[in-house]
Amino acid sequence: MPRVLVTHADEPIGRRIVKTLYHDRAIETVFALGDGPPPRAFDGYLTGPDRRVVYSQVDIAKHRPVSDLFHSKRFRAARIDTIVYVPRHGVGSADTPPLVGGIAERTAESRLLLQFALETAAIRNLIAIGSAFVYRMPPGNANRLNEDSELDLDPRVPDEIRSWIDCDMIFHGELHNEHLGVALLRVPTVVAGGGYVYMNPSLVGRPGTRFRALGFDPICALVSDKDVAGAVQAAIRTAATGIFNISGEQSVPLSVLAEWTGRSSIPLPGPLLRWLTPAARALGLESDQSPADCDQLRYGFTLDTERAATELGFRARYRIGRARAGDGALRVETAPIG
Amino acid sequence: MSDFEEPYEPIPAGNVLGSDPFDRIAGHEPFIDRLDELEQRQPSARAPRRVAQQIVRNEQHTELESVQAPDSRSLNIEPDEAGHPSQRLLRRRRAITPLLSQIELTQARGIAERLIPADERKRLAALAHLVEADQEALYDRFGFSPAAIKNSFPLFHALYRFYFRVRSEGHSNVPTDGPVVLAGNHGGLLPFDGAMAIVDLLLHTDPPRLARTIVDRWAGSLPWVNIYYARVGQVIGTRENFSDLLDEGQVVMVFPEGIEGIRKTIAHRHRLQPFRVGFVEHALRAQSPIVPMAIVGSDNQTPILYDIKPLARRLGLPVAPITPTFPWFGPIGLLPYPVRYKIVYGEPLRFHERFGPEGAEDSRLVRYLANQVRRRIQLLIDRNH
Repeated sequence: MPRVLVTHADEPIGRRIVKTLYHDRAIETVFALGDGPPPRAFDGYLTGPDRRVVYSQVDIAKHRPVSDLFHSKRFRAARIDTIVYVPRHGVGSADTPPLVGGIAERTAESRLLLQFALETAAIRNLIAIGSAFVYRMPPGNANRLNEDSELDLDPRVPDEIRSWIDCDMIFHGELHNEHLGVALLRVPTVVAGGGYVYMNPSLVGRPGTRFRALGFDPICALVSDKDVAGAVQAAIRTAATGIFNISGEQSVPLSVLAEWTGRSSIPLPGPLLRWLTPAARALGLESDQSPADCDQLRYGFTLDTERAATELGFRARYRIGRARAGDGALRVETAPIG
Repeated sequence: MSDFEEPYEPIPAGNVLGSDPFDRIAGHEPFIDRLDELEQRQPSARAPRRVAQQIVRNEQHTELESVQAPDSRSLNIEPDEAGHPSQRLLRRRRAITPLLSQIELTQARGIAERLIPADERKRLAALAHLVEADQEALYDRFGFSPAAIKNSFPLFHALYRFYFRVRSEGHSNVPTDGPVVLAGNHGGLLPFDGAMAIVDLLLHTDPPRLARTIVDRWAGSLPWVNIYYARVGQVIGTRENFSDLLDEGQVVMVFPEGIEGIRKTIAHRHRLQPFRVGFVEHALRAQSPIVPMAIVGSDNQTPILYDIKPLARRLGLPVAPITPTFPWFGPIGLLPYPVRYKIVYGEPLRFHERFGPEGAEDSRLVRYLANQVRRRIQLLIDRNH
């Protein structure tokens, strides 16, 4: 039975994956890593009779802590054979984008994890969650993209998206490794219950006002966090390797999504957008991680998930809509299909 | 005898086809040998990927349709006009509109809806079934919104009836179900010909079919235009978009002349420009018929006297025209003249029945078939202008 390590388990998608894997009886152990203390949601798992979940506080962006982890008795005892790399995706701070040794934190994490996964003979599979915003966006409100579509290698790509592309390429380089099976799941905007939305560069960071390009309202493909966890579960079970687009059936324009998540979007002409976004950042009105202006904010995409359906057996099981919360506000919510 | 084997029909005297490149086809055509060879070939043991995928999709579709309707209360989803809020959520992959007789008409709401006659409102209500998303979102994966088309319809319907006074024939040639490629001629600077063809098809088919026009990538980079196009169902011309629409069983309208069609000068009107061939490839792969469509009149709506190509290149525009009214009257001079349109749908060309999806791999065959489509459209134009 697989013994799985999950990174950033204290963040929403990681938490969801740990929950899903915990309830999957085909998984023997879940070794959860996080930056902070264990989430309260794990209380039942950590103190339960079967002790199938282990939580450890490790900064996986730094070499020493990762090295200590992989050589620790606890890690060896867990006999981990699968790593699920969930990148950092939670609500960003107003500080500068996290950098480790001059490179983005996400990139550093990917490099280190892959390096140690390759060096550890027991580890047979690595499943990484990547972003679908890595694709080059041809002009158009909705482009259907499959796994073979081009990546955006334009040097002018904003840092936030650049870090996703770097991660993608790091894992891409090991896709044909004979000893380590690598599966890369590219996900679009991830929607979680309670009005939370992740992995969308336009909506990254705290709720509030967002700028968008005037005259453009790209369509955003959506996927529920539970479907992402389901895709990870399927990837573990099938041990499939390769790149897979993971997406739900629904898509909405960016302006609608911003409204659904309690953000107001102000359309601005391109040149003004480039000038005003840094100014808004300086004033603390905008997240530092949100790109000022790029094709990914102008042109939308939806994902072709045929490969995931065929090879992983993935099918979106959750739909996304708005529900009235206890305080009377309408918030984005997910509900099972059928 | 298949469609492409028909002898080239003589053009009636007086038509503008003096330098028709298809004259050569009347003689010996070395391709015929190749086509026969293809026909003799046994079906490949390795099924084309697209077909295999389609089977998977259909299975998924069936499975999804069989599941119980989700409880819409958890998402506060109001019932739609047709009274079934969650059925759309379950329909995947196959975009189907119901028959007009199955649509129950609700009371008109808003000024735009009151301007639309009851029959047309029924047709618009049917289009809502193309959208898979829930009641709140109301967008399909390409950004199409039935609400947007409902709001635009009064204007385009008025243009259709009173400004361009469109007459049309041959609607029965458009299949009522399944994927169709509608290939037409393009002309007239601003794409009113496409708009009129969409309205015409919508008004004359049951179940009502929405033509999803493949538009140039350039249009996708234009502010507001890209949003409007997406909302009314137009799709940027990428391979993935095209094949995805056909896999869903939609009507895909293409203008294979591309931008060359709209920038042809008055001297070249009623004459088709060279065709792009991708649409034939997609039609073969999706096993879809190609319906040739002639839009007569669009070439006269904004006659281009001269195209200043260096200026167009410098400004990054597809065309820098001089017309009898532009630039003399400013942007108003670009508006189309009230010419009469005639739209004719030809008999469907079912190339896929003879060549199958593997025919799409043969570039010379694809080119040949594209030329056959072009010839058909040219014939329709010549007979009707």
